[in-house]
Amino acid sequence: MAKAGPPSGLCRQRRGTAPQMRGRYPDHDVLAQADHWDEATRRIVLARLRIDAPPLRVFDADEGATLEAFCDTVMAQDSDPRVPVLGMIDEKLHEGRLEGYRYADMPADADAWKLVARGLDEAALEHGCASFAAAPHDVRSQVCGAFSAGELRGGVWDELPIGRAWTVAMRDVVAAFYSHPWSWNEIGFGGPAYPRGHARLGVGLRDAGEADEEFSVDPAIDVPVRGLE
Amino acid sequence: MRDFKLALKGSVGPEDNDSRNLLDPHRRGVPGRATMRTYRDRDAVDLVIVGCGAGGATLAQRLARRGWRIVVIEAGPFWDPDSDWVSDEAGSHPLFWTQNRIVGGEDPVEMGKNNSGRGVGGSMVHYAGYAPRFHPSDFETLTRDGVGADWPISYEELKPHYEQVERELPVAGQSWPWGDPHGYPHGPHPVSGGAERAWSGARRAGVEMRVGPVAITNGAFGNRPHCIYRGFCLQGCKVGAKASPLVTHVPDALAHGAEIRADSMATRVEIDGAGRCTGVAYLQDGSERFQRAEAVAVAGYSIESPRLLLNSHSSRFPNGLANGEDQVGRYLMVQGAPQVAGRFPETLRMYKAPPPEVSSEQFYETDEARGFSRGFSIQTLGPLPIGWAEHVVADGHWGYALREYMRDYNHWSTLGVLNELLARPDNRVTLADERDQSGLPIARIDYTQCENDRLNIAWAKRKLEEIWEAAGAEELLTIERYAHLVGGCRMGDSPESSVVDSDHRAWAVTNLFVADGSTMPTQGSANPALTVMALASRLAERLARKRVGATPV
Ligand SMILES: Cc1cc2nc3c(=O)[nH]c(=O)nc-3n(C[C@H](O)[C@H](O)[C@H](O)COP(=O)(O)OP(=O)(O)OC[C@H]3O[C@@H](n4cnc5c(N)ncnc54)[C@H](O)[C@@H]3O)c2cc1C
Ligand code: SF4
Repeated sequence: MAKAGPPSGLCRQRRGTAPQMRGRYPDHDVLAQADHWDEATRRIVLARLRIDAPPLRVFDADEGATLEAFCDTVMAQDSDPRVPVLGMIDEKLHEGRLEGYRYADMPADADAWKLVARGLDEAALEHGCASFAAAPHDVRSQVCGAFSAGELRGGVWDELPIGRAWTVAMRDVVAAFYSHPWSWNEIGFGGPAYPRGHARLGVGLRDAGEADEEFSVDPAIDVPVRGLE
Repeated sequence: MRDFKLALKGSVGPEDNDSRNLLDPHRRGVPGRATMRTYRDRDAVDLVIVGCGAGGATLAQRLARRGWRIVVIEAGPFWDPDSDWVSDEAGSHPLFWTQNRIVGGEDPVEMGKNNSGRGVGGSMVHYAGYAPRFHPSDFETLTRDGVGADWPISYEELKPHYEQVERELPVAGQSWPWGDPHGYPHGPHPVSGGAERAWSGARRAGVEMRVGPVAITNGAFGNRPHCIYRGFCLQGCKVGAKASPLVTHVPDALAHGAEIRADSMATRVEIDGAGRCTGVAYLQDGSERFQRAEAVAVAGYSIESPRLLLNSHSSRFPNGLANGEDQVGRYLMVQGAPQVAGRFPETLRMYKAPPPEVSSEQFYETDEARGFSRGFSIQTLGPLPIGWAEHVVADGHWGYALREYMRDYNHWSTLGVLNELLARPDNRVTLADERDQSGLPIARIDYTQCENDRLNIAWAKRKLEEIWEAAGAEELLTIERYAHLVGGCRMGDSPESSVVDSDHRAWAVTNLFVADGSTMPTQGSANPALTVMALASRLAERLARKRVGATPV
């Protein structure tokens, strides 16, 4: 199995910031367009840049360490700069922003997250590690892989429906990560487009404020070849 | 001659609705709000409507024009798109009904952003904008196909209202060959690279598609601006090009004296000793108030309408208002909405252009050779990064693989289907043990598919895969989801099997009406908003002509 990581040849970000400073669009800096956005949008997007490792309010220190490690692993944030995923989730839960539903067999979202933290630590313990946060990368990966496949057993996992727990956790994780403008630089998303819209809609075309892709690989080929999952 | 007709096409507006001209060309807030007429709680208005969405706003506009004194009680805000809406995916959270609901059953349906809205304009504020009609067959699936139910009304009865609402939104698209063939008031929008790919694949796979029908202006239409193809339709159209009641019906309703009382959550419909409604209790700024009215129309969406009726229990209706026969909340329907995305070597940037672009109803009707009853429609979609990430996670990816699929975002294009899942009595809204902040029991939604549903979804997914393969897609990625809740207070021929009659009137309460998507007995595989509006338009016509004799209304 090849070493887990980004594909070789992925670009180093030249303009603006991308998570881990890697991406396919090295000259794409969404924030350079902020002057072209409407005021309400600018305010809400720029506010996300201010969440920088805030004190956690929903999770205690141990839960925080475990979940921080979980978020890093499932989002493959292996170096700085990192999108502060857990901080954003903690803020959402603290402010009581709800998602509009709860599965009948699941506890409230914040409690589900706390159980996930406990369950991850229990799973790490079975690998002989003191906690999930203290576990080396390959143990964390194995545990997350088993979590995603619904294959963790015992302890917390006997009371928490594992498939739903994964869905709920990943819903919050990706919503945080991909709401952050740094992630838009990495993937070449144009970001807010009001009042200026888009004019060039066809295949391979780009508008002002969009940059060219400088590296490309088909993930459906590369992911299995490099044994990433 | 042809050019002349085209030029004229966009400029002929509907009669009996001035909303497009009442909007301000420079600001997006509804101008009439500042001068809105207001009623006192103790004024017994002609009609109080709960909910200012697709059904409620249309009903309000129609009857206000006919001189009725109308108050609309709306739980959410009176939006000012300039300051309240953003061109951002996560930031659009406040548009959704995010209060807790419990979801259960074997195939639970996720609520929140994928379901209903909250605020003036209702769920159409963040709907995609597809505006197809139902097919004539949808009104008699039991007779034709032996499944679902027959409506107590026919397509023909709704047709003039479809035509009128299509002019009011207005709907843009190519002329429509399916169902009852018809044209659209505005011509088709240009399509994006991703939709082009899907369309060419469909052609090669023998699937006919058409541009539209979308409720997005494409040409001059009063003060409604043209679409700027920015792709944030599901985040609320800040531009005002996409139709929602906020721009299509609310301005005209206000101009004719309706009051829209926002930030007011209806908690109970009250009745008197004779079993007639007397008005609606609601919460505003934490205090309980009561609006008197001669009649009540509930239009709070397929979850909140049943919830409100169930919460309005009394000694006369111990199991909830109009629920003597245990019908309220039953036959709740949701469409299967799996999506399959295809990858191409070129960049397609699916975030550009409105997500609703090209669609097909070729597989809408029953074809016995497929092995199941009823069918599905096919539509293009354009998930933004968070929606796309949910797609990738659903396909089983996380970690480095997830990041790599996400970096590949611009190479993908997405097609979805809408499957007609069949109405079943045990798919229903009930009250959960849990309560909301104000002490009101919250809704619980149970949903379980039947065999026909599973076969339909599986067949439709294979069809999408065929289309992408024919288009030359290198890879495919699939997500299972649901869309569009309707039913829960269905209309029918008898009180034993329905909540309201063909005039939307509760069987058991003569001055109580249900005027939203919850009255639908079947759902077809068309998106529901146009039909919700057409039904409300028909109801208004019948009330105004006093054809339904809801005296003293
Ligand atoms: C993401 C998404 C995409 C969609 N895309 C499409 C599409 O492309 N085409 C289409 O046709 N349909 C689409 N729909 C569905 C469509 O928006 C709804 O079917 C339609 O708006 C339902 O109309 P309604 O009148 O039943 O309810 P709504 O439009 O939801 O209106 C109900 C209103 O009632 C209010 N309310 C509820 N309870 C109370 C209470 N107790 N007191 C006061 N007010 C209350 C709510 O706040 C809301 O404003 C989409 C929906 C979503 C969520
Ligand atoms: S793409 Fe057009 S209709 Fe959709 S939000 Fe943008 S301007 Fe509005």
